[in-house]
Amino acid sequence: MVDFSLTEEQKSLQDLARKFAKTEMLPVAAACDRAGRFPEDVYRKAWELGLMNLNVPTEYGGSGLSVFDQCVIVEELAHACGGMTTSIIANCLALEPILLGGTEEQRKRTLPAFCSSYHLASFCLTEPSGGSDAGGLQTRCRLDGDHYVLDGEKCFITNAPHASLYTVFATIDPALRHKGITAFFVPRAAEGVVPGKDEEKMGHRASSTSTVKFDHVRVPLADRLGAEGDGFSLAMRTLDHTRTPIGALATGIAQAAIDYAADYSLKRHTFGKPIGEHQAIQLKLANMAQEVHAARLLTWHAAWLIDGGQRGSLESSIAKCFASDAAMKVADDAIQIFGGYGYMKDYPVEKLLRDAKLTQIYEGSNEIQRIVIARELLTHYA
Amino acid sequence: MELLVLIKPVPDPDTRLRPNAAGTALDTDGVKWVLTGYDESAVEQALLLKESAPGSRVRAIAFGPAPRTEEILRSALALGCDTATWVEQPSGLVPDPMLSANALSWACQKTPFDLLVVGKQALDDEAGVVGPAVAERLGVADYGPVVDLRWDPAAGKFNLARAVEGGLERITASGPMVVCLQQAWNDPRTAKLQNVLKARRTTIDKVSWAEVQAGVGPAVPGTRLTSFRLPPPRTGAKMIAFKTPEEAAQQLVRLLREEAKTLP
Amino acid sequence: MSADVLVVIERRGAAPVRAALEATGVARRLAGPSGAGRVTAVLLGTALEASAGTIAGLGVDRVITVSDPRFDTFQTALWAAAVAAIARELSSSVILLAGTNNGRQLAGRIAIRWDAAAVTGIADLSPGAAGEITVTRPVFSGRAFQEVRIGAPRVVLGLRPNAFPIPEASSPPAPIAEHAPLELGPLPSGGAVTGFESAQSGIGPDLSDATVIVSGGRGLKGPENFRLLEELALSLGAAIGASRAVTDSGWRPASFQIGQTGKSVSPQLYIAVGISGAIQHLVGMISSRTIVAINSDPSAPIFKVADYGIAGDLFQIVPALTAEIRRVRGS
Repeated sequence: MVDFSLTEEQKSLQDLARKFAKTEMLPVAAACDRAGRFPEDVYRKAWELGLMNLNVPTEYGGSGLSVFDQCVIVEELAHACGGMTTSIIANCLALEPILLGGTEEQRKRTLPAFCSSYHLASFCLTEPSGGSDAGGLQTRCRLDGDHYVLDGEKCFITNAPHASLYTVFATIDPALRHKGITAFFVPRAAEGVVPGKDEEKMGHRASSTSTVKFDHVRVPLADRLGAEGDGFSLAMRTLDHTRTPIGALATGIAQAAIDYAADYSLKRHTFGKPIGEHQAIQLKLANMAQEVHAARLLTWHAAWLIDGGQRGSLESSIAKCFASDAAMKVADDAIQIFGGYGYMKDYPVEKLLRDAKLTQIYEGSNEIQRIVIARELLTHYA
Repeated sequence: MELLVLIKPVPDPDTRLRPNAAGTALDTDGVKWVLTGYDESAVEQALLLKESAPGSRVRAIAFGPAPRTEEILRSALALGCDTATWVEQPSGLVPDPMLSANALSWACQKTPFDLLVVGKQALDDEAGVVGPAVAERLGVADYGPVVDLRWDPAAGKFNLARAVEGGLERITASGPMVVCLQQAWNDPRTAKLQNVLKARRTTIDKVSWAEVQAGVGPAVPGTRLTSFRLPPPRTGAKMIAFKTPEEAAQQLVRLLREEAKTLP
Repeated sequence: MSADVLVVIERRGAAPVRAALEATGVARRLAGPSGAGRVTAVLLGTALEASAGTIAGLGVDRVITVSDPRFDTFQTALWAAAVAAIARELSSSVILLAGTNNGRQLAGRIAIRWDAAAVTGIADLSPGAAGEITVTRPVFSGRAFQEVRIGAPRVVLGLRPNAFPIPEASSPPAPIAEHAPLELGPLPSGGAVTGFESAQSGIGPDLSDATVIVSGGRGLKGPENFRLLEELALSLGAAIGASRAVTDSGWRPASFQIGQTGKSVSPQLYIAVGISGAIQHLVGMISSRTIVAINSDPSAPIFKVADYGIAGDLFQIVPALTAEIRRVRGS
């Protein structure tokens, strides 16, 4: 029996996230956006409530939530601020390779620290030479006795300036392409790990992003995740799990755009009536509602498949791609409904557009998602 | 210390209020019921006292219909209440505040307590009769509206402050007693995710309506809601003409007192 | 049938509180003209003469005094027992309580003891046929009004403060009689009053629950000028809010912000000072019961949603307003 309703448990999680978003994130969202401030107090509070390590199983002290549950929470958080949400869920992304590819000993050694006190981790895959071409990454790992030596630079790494642990993808030989990629976890404290300065971004300005340089960093053999050459598959399986919540994040931004626009349309009067009574505005609102509804259901469907044990690559790509495109369209429409006010920073909708833009780019650009979708589609006809 | 806290599901403060078709009550269709306002402060205060006196326990008690009442009890459990009692309200019954007080008092007398905490009024109907009425039923003292409440372990007494016209009255009192809390001078905590999940699995004690009636007698509300309406829409300010600032102030104060009647 | 009303008179010092005078007028309205129903006022405590004299001249049919030092402090259980006992003795049908904190605290307790219905926070009322009384009470912080019909044979009514006029003095004054000492049986003992702090040093209310909010905007020109608002707020027992312009400029912390991205409030009285009224702010306060706007720009949008507007220099108006409020509230 297909069921589209949330369980009472999921509704409780939704309430919790909504309350946190409204009371802790929203009041500071505009100011953080303007100043490009990383609100560590908010992140610490999120950690205290258990909103940070959603995917880490309870046996390591995490919240142990399904992907579906994560999506429910992430949408609510993103309703208040997409940028903060990205920073809050960055641990999920960074720790997922350890969950999927780590040995029990490695998990026990790394995960509990993140759950017993506030720490951030960063997922280091993208490089200056290119993000989408993950097989072509240049960061080298060279075996030297019982250590690997890492050399290279990663970029656009969420939370990197604040992280205490990095999951890093490097290659034993660039010529091997995908087959050479190997994953490690590397503490910030290791000699030669140098996070760069915080980037000035268009949106997601409450989040923090920088490069991370690995300069002759010695990593013990025991900190390698999986075998040499397993890294690419591990990265892809990680993204299969974390892509869907990005769909939820985009849905949250889009829902916020609708909420602001619909509310405004009933309060703003032109030609003697609320603009919401003009058909021009109604048609826009109707389109926005369709986009958001579809985005949410696609996200939920992908999450449901993955929680049921399927890989869900196709469906999570569809969800992420559709929801992020929807967020852009809907935020754009919201600004249009607000008119000149929408273009002003005193009103909350222009931020939504800037925040939405990143969701089309990160965790696999929408072009990559479309390639995945098309390839998958064509295999059924080949 | 044994603590009881009385709570009530009320419409989310963000709810757009609408009268029902008959115009007699709030249209509850689509309303989200939450633990908030005075009740949230009351729970927080009970938890703070519990933390200040090791070995204490807090029981949350609510009277109301399914499922909203069970839900706010789960919210209270998630925040840190140890146990919860749901006094079931039969569907179709429209309780007035005195009827609610009687039903709640039946659940309260089941176990001995040192302190019963309740918001001075509910956020929706703002009646404010439940706390003192329960206290009278149980034969204990009540204090309200209380703006500060602390436990003095050395003296084994509570120190509290109640708001009275013109200031605050400081009182030292011992339990059992009922405290009606004024407002959120405390900063209500947010439930942790793990506790939210745990609260879903906690058993809530139920008190049936039949048991309440057998205990406190048949309940016949002495009041009936005949109208629920929204204030008229705003049409623009009455602008005050004045020659001096003093004249403007006098006119405004007069209007607020005599016309708007909202000057405290 | 007309109501037989017992009105409880609270005092501060030697005089009845203002809300008790209002209640006295309402009692007369409920009972109908003298000869139809009867209004009895009751005073409890010591040194009651002056207050009893005042009330006797306000159109009641008689005044009962209970001279007993036990009532010099307020203990709900004791007061409730006394009032209920007198109501029983007089076969009253209505007990009327003033809109004070003590009055509010008494209602539920008396209702249980007297086996009566209780309705509080009444802003308007009208006696109907067959002894029924219909009352109007604001609910949801003034965002809606509820009408309640009371059919119970006995009812405790609590009034809202400042909702009713003070009755005109009438003559001749009603007779004042001392009640025999009250035997109230065993009652829970109340705590010991250990001190009193005047409101100046009291704890200010929280923004989301405050019945009065004074809110400042860009027109204040700088954080140092919030002192003007603080004094106004103190005179009213109000909480302080701010527009987004103010919190974004760091004049006040973000928790003060009222509006779309801040808190939504709905107090009884909202005084917007130097706030132009951007929609972003209006959505957070539009459901306030009474809105006052003070702004130098007469075309500011805030005046479209306000009930009362003063177009003028806030640096002159606000201190004058604070002084006037202090004067009328006698503090």
